[in-house]
Amino acid sequence: MATLLFERLNTQAKLAVFAVQERAVLAWNAIRFMFVRPFYAADVMEQMDSIGVGSLFIVVLTGFFTGMVLALQSKASLAQFGETAIIGRLVTASMIRELGPVLAGLMVAGRVGSGIAAEIGSMRVTEQIDALNTLGTDPIKKLVTPRLIALLVMMPVLTIVNDAVGVIGGNLISTVFVRVPSSVYWRGVWDQIAIDGFTWRYLPNDFIQGLAKPFVFGGIIAITACYHGLNTTGGTEGVGQSTTRTVVVASVSILVVDYFMTQLFIGALNLQ
Amino acid sequence: MKDDDEPSAAEQAFAGRVRRAIRDELAADKALMLKTPTAPAPRVPRQTPTGMTCSVRRSSTPVNASPVIALERVSLAFEQPVLEDVSLEIYSGETMVIVGESGTGKSTILKLILRLLTPDTGRVLIKGRDIVTLSFDEAMLVRQQMGMVFQGAALFDSMSVFENVAYPLREHTSMTDDEIEARVRQKLEYVDLHPDHVMNLLPSELSGGMKKRVGIARGLANNPEIMLYDEPTSGLDPLTTGTITRLIMKLQRELGVTSVVVSHDIRSANRMGSYIAVVAEERIVFCGTPEEMAASEDRYIQDFLGGL
Repeated sequence: MATLLFERLNTQAKLAVFAVQERAVLAWNAIRFMFVRPFYAADVMEQMDSIGVGSLFIVVLTGFFTGMVLALQSKASLAQFGETAIIGRLVTASMIRELGPVLAGLMVAGRVGSGIAAEIGSMRVTEQIDALNTLGTDPIKKLVTPRLIALLVMMPVLTIVNDAVGVIGGNLISTVFVRVPSSVYWRGVWDQIAIDGFTWRYLPNDFIQGLAKPFVFGGIIAITACYHGLNTTGGTEGVGQSTTRTVVVASVSILVVDYFMTQLFIGALNLQ
Repeated sequence: MKDDDEPSAAEQAFAGRVRRAIRDELAADKALMLKTPTAPAPRVPRQTPTGMTCSVRRSSTPVNASPVIALERVSLAFEQPVLEDVSLEIYSGETMVIVGESGTGKSTILKLILRLLTPDTGRVLIKGRDIVTLSFDEAMLVRQQMGMVFQGAALFDSMSVFENVAYPLREHTSMTDDEIEARVRQKLEYVDLHPDHVMNLLPSELSGGMKKRVGIARGLANNPEIMLYDEPTSGLDPLTTGTITRLIMKLQRELGVTSVVVSHDIRSANRMGSYIAVVAEERIVFCGTPEEMAASEDRYIQDFLGGL
């Protein structure tokens, strides 16, 4: 019985390592093809439009309500110490460092990740991937690389929008419900951006953390979605499973990687 | 050149064989119902001798000609054996139809020729060059000499008919837009589609037969020397099946491409194949002309013809 259990554990561990290895190989090839002709510039632009512009509304909505709820929740705690004036700092720190990147990442994983997995998965089960191969095109170069580039570029952009809208949402609630003047709120926002210092004189350290995370999250979403899409088996049912797996794996990966990246940045940049 | 619509001698022989097979089946059923102790004939394919090569060539083929496509003692297994010791030779301009029951590894042979798969043992030669040892990029170049028509046509959903047919030209040639459009029009007309009517449609707006034709036009776009068809008539009504079969025959007749067709439609196979190979139990169990197949005394071949 115990032997059987260990055998199963052994098999599962090997499969997990194999899956990580396969993702790493896919990521390496996708990155390598960024520098090899032909460049599918039109595909990259199309993906940027679909991923970036297409996700704008959902990201704005998420950011706005998150900023508002942050201000609302902070009101009671800060009022205890008579420190409601620093509400701008609190909302900004939360949005730029954590909630902006993570929430944008989770939203994009849900919307874009599932879409990519479903599209590539459908192409796999209807032999379109095989057709690409037989027509002399590498599916990784044609499908994965443009999506990876689009996500690496658009995730930080979407996060900046998310952060900005969140801070504006916080301003709205601070002014209306917490009775903090806008000038004080925006002073707090600037204090927070400046307090952690600057890299190369003009780049706030908070921004480095806030933009490095979505860059990595973009890579995680692209590779996870493409990996599950390309490995789809079992017809339309398989496409559904690939989609679900992509959202689950990408979301969990984002949360886990976020923790380790935060720890890394706190150590490396000596943040507060 | 035989008339496409008149049944050939092979087809008449085939029809007679089907009638006899049905009569035998009915007699066997009757015997079973009467509980007559007649043992059912075993439906086991004849085993080919190990290393036998399915090589058929016309008397007009030069003696020193080398096959365009050759599989040499190819074996492949995933969780279970798929192909065992399969040898096949196809000469220039010939059409080999590979038939067999579902799941016998027919499509695997096409994937081996395209080098989408590599065999566990054995060699796959395209125009005398072993493609098993090629690098990924080299294999891509070999694939560009072949046109493949997939079972479900496998047209790219996100592209129009024009973009689908133009795809291999845009990818691998330096043709101008005007040249590409002229070539796409030519290929669409060749498969009896009106370019102006279909070029801007998406694959989802086409019927099954039209999709297959666009798939053939895309396969032909690069003027390949080898055409591969995976179940070209599956899922089509009898009339469309006849149309697609005639279209494939026209390509062979007029363009002289070397073709490999995987099919379970024995009637179409008889019409379009110069030679037929029957795959069963991971091996090639019969290899010959449609006439030889119809005349075969082999029980499995008879069952196979009668069962369809």
